[in-house]
Amino acid sequence: RFLSPEFIPPRGRTDPLKFYIERKDMIQRRKAFNIPEFYVGHILAVTTANPYASEKASRFVGICIQRGGKGLGATFVLRNIIEDQGVEIRYELYNPRIQAIEVLKLEKRLDDNLMYLRDALPEYSTFDVNMKPVSHLDHEEIPVNKLQVRMKPKPWSKRWERPQYNIKGIKFELPEKKMKEAQKWSQPWVEFDMLREYDTSKIEEKIWKEVSEELKK
Amino acid sequence: MRLSVAAAISHGRVYRHLGLGPRSRLDLLRNLVTALVRHERIEVPWARADEMRGYAERLIDYAKLGDTNERAMRLANFWLTEKDLIHKLFKVLAVRFQPHPGSYTRMLHIPNRDDIDRAKMAVIELKGNPFPPLIVPRRDTEKTLLNQLLKGYREDAHRAAVP
Repeated sequence: RFLSPEFIPPRGRTDPLKFYIERKDMIQRRKAFNIPEFYVGHILAVTTANPYASEKASRFVGICIQRGGKGLGATFVLRNIIEDQGVEIRYELYNPRIQAIEVLKLEKRLDDNLMYLRDALPEYSTFDVNMKPVSHLDHEEIPVNKLQVRMKPKPWSKRWERPQYNIKGIKFELPEKKMKEAQKWSQPWVEFDMLREYDTSKIEEKIWKEVSEELKK
Repeated sequence: MRLSVAAAISHGRVYRHLGLGPRSRLDLLRNLVTALVRHERIEVPWARADEMRGYAERLIDYAKLGDTNERAMRLANFWLTEKDLIHKLFKVLAVRFQPHPGSYTRMLHIPNRDDIDRAKMAVIELKGNPFPPLIVPRRDTEKTLLNQLLKGYREDAHRAAVP
């Protein structure tokens, strides 16, 4: 019972007709090409059509660190380290050049956004290019990997210890003073600001019914 | 070529800048929500009433979930600074508004404040409050054109029916 997050329209004043038309196009593409269910933290292998490669197709294996965008422009970023060089590629889910998406390993992580892997030690982002797909039964729940990642010494690309990022998957080895100083930027009132919440349960149900009916045809 | 948006454009922003900052804005609105729950009809500057309306209605929506709900209790604890009003919110207001799906408040304009600032004021009240209503719909008098024509028509019909 999984609805891909790019189907849920964002909060705003746009006409729902735009989202309806986009959803129709998205469903049409999904009928032609199977996009599997995946979350941030899964290890995927994507083959895209490439006119300049021998075999005309190029394959990239990586861990999904972020899923962004709504509608047809939905993207996901895969990260891997190849010959000691970190590589991140942003793919569009509904790009017609993508020929296959395989999920090699299913595991969820503690966060929605694994951008901190850029500042983590390289061993946490290396994955074997010829990895065999790990089998997973349909009815089992997707396991959550409670791995605490160790970081390279500071400076980092972003100050991940600050509470705005709300990261649970890093093992902070910083002194206590730095952690307390980072808490100065916390905004405890945001949790009680009721108008910021976007309740998507009813919208999700409607869209789920629509999408599953269309896909069954 | 300008690559980034200029700082003064605020298209699509919904929150007004009240008070000294975001914490101060929430504290201001919290005081107003507490006053509304206590007195059920208050006169406040229009902008503050507008901001407060959304928060008050969402608070009542959460209260409808019941006081066993952990999140509803924490929100009520934060938003109502006078703790006897938490009981009133859950036991009186949630029950009163249970049949309605939304729109528990009414906001109306008032003449500008008498102070030197002449601020635009509004009165905001919870529906179903015990005070006399603010808008009293009065029937038209007999002297209006439509009523005179209808009266004439009724008399003609009466005279035609009698003999």
